[in-house]
Amino acid sequence: MIESKVKEKLKEEKVKKTTAEADVLKRKRKTLILMMLPISVWLLAVVIIPVATMLNMSFKQVEGFVLKDVFTVNNYLKFFKVEMYWRLFLKSFRMAFIVAIVAIIISYPLAYFIARRIKKFKNILFMLIIVPLWVSYLIRIIAWRSILGNRGFLNVFLMQLGIIKEPLEIFLYNQFAVIITLIYIAIPFVFIPLYTALEKIPDALISASRDLGASGARTFMHVVLPLSRPGLVTGFMLSFIIALGDYIIPKELGGVGGIMYGNVIWHQFGLINDWPLGAALGFILLTVALIVLILSRKLGSKEGVFF
Amino acid sequence: MIEKKCKTARLDRKKIKFSFLGIYSVVVYIFLYIPLLVVIFYSFSATKSIVYFERFSMDWYKALIEDRTLLQTTLHSVQVGLIATSISIIVGTSGGFFLARAKIKGKEVFATLCQLPLVLPGIIMGLALLVFFMSLNIKLSMFTILLAHTVFTTPVVMFQVASRLQRLGFTYEDAAKDLGANSFKTFFLVILPMIKTAIIGGGLLAFTLSFDEIIITFFVTGTWVTLPVYMYSLLRYGLTPQVFAISTIILFFSIVIIFFMAKFTEVKSERVQR
Repeated sequence: MIESKVKEKLKEEKVKKTTAEADVLKRKRKTLILMMLPISVWLLAVVIIPVATMLNMSFKQVEGFVLKDVFTVNNYLKFFKVEMYWRLFLKSFRMAFIVAIVAIIISYPLAYFIARRIKKFKNILFMLIIVPLWVSYLIRIIAWRSILGNRGFLNVFLMQLGIIKEPLEIFLYNQFAVIITLIYIAIPFVFIPLYTALEKIPDALISASRDLGASGARTFMHVVLPLSRPGLVTGFMLSFIIALGDYIIPKELGGVGGIMYGNVIWHQFGLINDWPLGAALGFILLTVALIVLILSRKLGSKEGVFF
Repeated sequence: MIEKKCKTARLDRKKIKFSFLGIYSVVVYIFLYIPLLVVIFYSFSATKSIVYFERFSMDWYKALIEDRTLLQTTLHSVQVGLIATSISIIVGTSGGFFLARAKIKGKEVFATLCQLPLVLPGIIMGLALLVFFMSLNIKLSMFTILLAHTVFTTPVVMFQVASRLQRLGFTYEDAAKDLGANSFKTFFLVILPMIKTAIIGGGLLAFTLSFDEIIITFFVTGTWVTLPVYMYSLLRYGLTPQVFAISTIILFFSIVIIFFMAKFTEVKSERVQR
């Protein structure tokens, strides 16, 4: 008798508990749905629909100044048929690759040093690298233009030192100026994921490696470097994509030789007024950027620049 | 005896590495900051030509005050920055909450989609928005710039909030709910105060990014102009020295804002037990 009563009581308690739990879950779900609404509206309105509109535009055609409402893949064919477009794309690809690699080579020792060799002031040193990133894109372009020009800082400096007699014209309005400015912009983007990855490596692993007899170099090659791979991949991806799509730096510092793919896209929205072509070229860039992004997601870490 | 030798050998090696890497790092820091210093340097130079620094002068700063367009565009940038940041705080906080707490299958895809505006080249977002506005016959104005800015300010706040919430864990919310608080109370009285520094830090960062933005903004600007677009127009017709003065002031304020932002957000990443 008592047994059955106890069993009943236990059942009651269980039902109470599960209904209470169910209540909490219901409330949780309601909150979550509420939370999802603003961000979904934003995503739809400001990201998905504009990109869809761009895609739609890329299938149209312009004749004279009139936008014809047709469906054509002409613009995409143009990319492959007209040498200028795909050549310029490959050139930008190459330049962006150089920018990313050099930025990584420059930043890696720095990230290693701050992440693993500094005990005090780590935060400040980290912030000092980040500050140029948030401070101003345009100001950094202004800075490099005034350094590399004929009457710029670099030339004046070299002349004062007596190394050259006349200002050298080779510094500005070419690929070199564009690449070096892009590297300058890219370094903080590369530094953050590298630093994060290097910082996470536990000291214990390094000690274990050394205790097992590996030299510093060997430990680096076989322990540190592979473990920092996610940071390397993310850093490469971020700087590569930034360099690939830039149009202002090539415009202001590239002259004729430093034009990049972004310029040609931009032109379609300027005097040329061929929006469908611009949209198509832009969509090609978008596709390549997405591919790079997906690849790096698979190979790299989930850390980003802002979180 | 051998132990002692090993220890000193290790220390010696560490010392040599330290100075090599240390010197290299100092060089990199110099490389990172020289361009900025050059800008500040030239802003105080008296001559119009950039060649020789003749005398210290505040002429260019004085000229700034008389430049009406400059003051107007700066005000515009502040306006856009504040409104865009406010919108993105509301949308971003709720989005970040959703991202950190939801257990739906498509969450990864959702997160990637929200991250896209940050990672993709600005030119793509710029032209997509331009085409979008034009197809709806929306004239380019403050509204279009504002919308364009929320494209990157919202994810910034959202991911700051999401990662903070992730670090906080479920415990506090569960405790509040078990004690009987409804969703509203839980959110406003328990969660919000705990993530407030992430929100403020994200907001400051968002404002800074918005204030400086030119790549996307350039596509969606009509006659209502922000400061970077104005500076860019000054830049394209030759380097007027005022540009250096404006830049120096912006540098100064940006650093101040970043300083406060750093105080609010945790910059250190989680460290595995050392």
